[in-house]
Amino acid sequence: MKKHFKIALAGNPNCGKTSIFNALTGARQHVGNYPGVTVESKSGWFSIGDIEIELVDLPGIYSLSSSSPEENVAFEVLTGKGIDLILNVIDSSIPRRSMYLTTQIAELHIPMMLVFNMSDDARKRGIKFDIGKLEKYFGSPIVQTVGRSLEGVKPLLDRLPKVLEELDNHGVPMLSYGSDIDDSISEIASRIDALNVKRYAHIPSRFFAVKLLESDSCTMKIPEFKPVWKDVVAQIKHLSDIHAIDEAHTFMADRRYAMISGAFRDSMSMTGEKRRQISDKIDSVVTNKVFGLPFFLLVMYATFWFTFTCADPIMGWIEAGFGALSEGIKSVWSAESFPYLRDLITDGVIGGVGGVIVFLPNILFLFFAIALLEESGYMSRAAFVMDGIMRRFGLQGKSFVPLVLGFGCNVPAIMATRCIESEKDRKTTIMVLPLMSCGARLPIYALIIPAFFAVQYQALMMWIMYLIGVVVALLGARLLKNTVFKGDGEVYLMELPPYRMPTFRSLLLHMWDRAKMYLHKAGTIILATSILLFIANTYPEKKVFSKDYDSLIETAYKAGSLSRDDVRILSDGNLLSADAIAEIEEQGTLSEDMIASLEEKNPNLAQEAVLEKSMELNSQISKLENEKNAEAMEYTISGRIGKFMEPFFKPIGFDWRLATASIGALAAKEVFVSQLGILYAEGEADEESVPLREQLAKNYTPLQGFCIMLFCLLSIPCFATLAVIKREMNSWKAMFAEVFALLALAYVSTFIVYQVGTFLHIGTKLVS
Amino acid sequence: MNKKPEKSKEPEGVDKELTLADLPVGASATIVKIIPNSRGEKKFADVGLVPGVELVMQAHAPFGGLIRVKVMETSMALHASDAKNIVMKKGSKKGEKTL
Repeated sequence: MKKHFKIALAGNPNCGKTSIFNALTGARQHVGNYPGVTVESKSGWFSIGDIEIELVDLPGIYSLSSSSPEENVAFEVLTGKGIDLILNVIDSSIPRRSMYLTTQIAELHIPMMLVFNMSDDARKRGIKFDIGKLEKYFGSPIVQTVGRSLEGVKPLLDRLPKVLEELDNHGVPMLSYGSDIDDSISEIASRIDALNVKRYAHIPSRFFAVKLLESDSCTMKIPEFKPVWKDVVAQIKHLSDIHAIDEAHTFMADRRYAMISGAFRDSMSMTGEKRRQISDKIDSVVTNKVFGLPFFLLVMYATFWFTFTCADPIMGWIEAGFGALSEGIKSVWSAESFPYLRDLITDGVIGGVGGVIVFLPNILFLFFAIALLEESGYMSRAAFVMDGIMRRFGLQGKSFVPLVLGFGCNVPAIMATRCIESEKDRKTTIMVLPLMSCGARLPIYALIIPAFFAVQYQALMMWIMYLIGVVVALLGARLLKNTVFKGDGEVYLMELPPYRMPTFRSLLLHMWDRAKMYLHKAGTIILATSILLFIANTYPEKKVFSKDYDSLIETAYKAGSLSRDDVRILSDGNLLSADAIAEIEEQGTLSEDMIASLEEKNPNLAQEAVLEKSMELNSQISKLENEKNAEAMEYTISGRIGKFMEPFFKPIGFDWRLATASIGALAAKEVFVSQLGILYAEGEADEESVPLREQLAKNYTPLQGFCIMLFCLLSIPCFATLAVIKREMNSWKAMFAEVFALLALAYVSTFIVYQVGTFLHIGTKLVS
Repeated sequence: MNKKPEKSKEPEGVDKELTLADLPVGASATIVKIIPNSRGEKKFADVGLVPGVELVMQAHAPFGGLIRVKVMETSMALHASDAKNIVMKKGSKKGEKTL
């Protein structure tokens, strides 16, 4: 007996194929409670005893045709060679609709097994099947499963080996469309047999006869069948002449539903309908004409609030952890042995990679929230509510789910656009999707916003950034729809699945997968670019400076440090601890922290004078140190590139540091943060580490901070996104057009904001 | 569920035909026919929108455009402009199409 089998999973959208796929193969493909989660076929392998099985998960389809990208994939796989068995997954809580596809798959005469999935839901709705009778009717074995749990697919695993053993004498369902139509089908089938089409020799001609009779546009496109067209037309005319049919286009569909009704007449009983009722009650509010939109906005706001507020404390811990790690390494590893390696590890790796890992909690909470929306079934309601607005901008409700997924990561979001049947709407959606602010841009906002904006405005600023992305995307879509992708779309049809309580396990798994992906990215591409950037930021080292900074600093100290009398004035006031006094005596000046805390304690005039003296000295020294650092930095590779680019970036408020960070961000958006982390970690040399945000607040104005975010939001997406755009648009031209359009958009917008802001003096003062 | 549609007095089949787009929320009706050669005729058939099937209007989306109907125990969203091509008959006549 054969030991290797290829099995295809076919069924309606959202019937739980992927859950079954995951349960059988142990894979962790993404599942969600909205139609169209699987957009391409995926293979997985598993074995029962010594039988090896390749399982192909197909996108969900309503009909075996090829009028959408998903149907195309499924059609190609099922009509291709080498499929030993089709597992037709059926949502058994809605059997009438689900079996429509079954009647078409059956015509392929490939051995079929029916998987009555979601049998727990069917039971709750009081649906009972006479499995024996149905097996006989469809000539196929039937198992009842609950795909969401491992135990639920056991009946399938138990039955499968025996089914595979008996594949050769597998029953073939002979479906009757009624004697009149069956005659026509046989007539056309015999004509097709006479054509002897090699390409489809393995598929029964009856399948194509049925498709031709219902004028299936894709079968009509197969040139080999052209000779039988006139026979098809004659048969349809004959059928309507004898009044067997009154509708030339949908009579096949009518007959199929009648066939299913006939099959269920004495093999199914139905009593209650509880779940759907609860679902309908929720929907009467959530998709309400009046409350629908406010509810949606509330959900979106809650999502962002949850992402940022709840993740904040954890981020603090991680940041502190990396700071301690860096300090720890510096304290045990003396600066004399391998100083370059020491700096590379503490400043380059910890500064760069650590700076990105800090934002892991944000990412996890965001994906948790998105998974919750997906798995509960709310996502398709949101699409329903938003369709009217989207349509005004040339998009549609179905564009909505991919756009929201774009907040997580643009790459899978662009893949998810395959659920949009209308080619023009799909292309428009893909082209504007990079404007949806993805999770990788989040660390940039999370870094910048608290550095420049007061606590009460932070959530609002974050909201504004996302909103700008959405608004620009919508305007862009409108522009595209009115120019390049002009034209009428396909008919819109979207199923709203019943609500389902997401299992905690699947939400956690989803988060865990995301965490792994993020850490993997941090450990590979971000680590590599951090090391490269560190090297570019450090070398070549400047040995000879334009001024002798070290002796200048020394002279400044000699001239300006505090005298014993000055220190006494401070200690007399009893404002400082003995330790602090000792430190002041040694340093000859007060630290910034000390000055800040003393000023709050209402110093008298004499003390105030000492503070001012100290501040004067501090600013002199830091000015010299900054000059020295700047001179050293400008000498490095990064500095040279940055300087070269500066004329281009200066009009939008970027210095050479930000310029190099924007270039690095092409590899991955998070690199923007790690580059700033490295640059400022090096800048501070061997002083105690000052959080990056404080460094930024000292060096940039809030206006510049805003310009950084705006530029990063609108500019070219990362390489991974560009690659998937190229693939999904199937065009290099579209990809390069995207690159130039976004670069121009980002540059012009940031330019206007920066210049107007500077002119009007909005946010042009340093915060600290 | 079985709320009577507001303007239920006009006799069916006369003058203007009742279409799915005209159905008020909560009303149920049975599909009589789909206007031949209309957009999406085939797609509608695939999801159960065929003559003889009973529907319940569930919701109208904000800003017009989409409607949501209950068909064969599932909930489908479609466009009001497309729903104009689905001719309805009021009430819920039980029974399937016979062969």
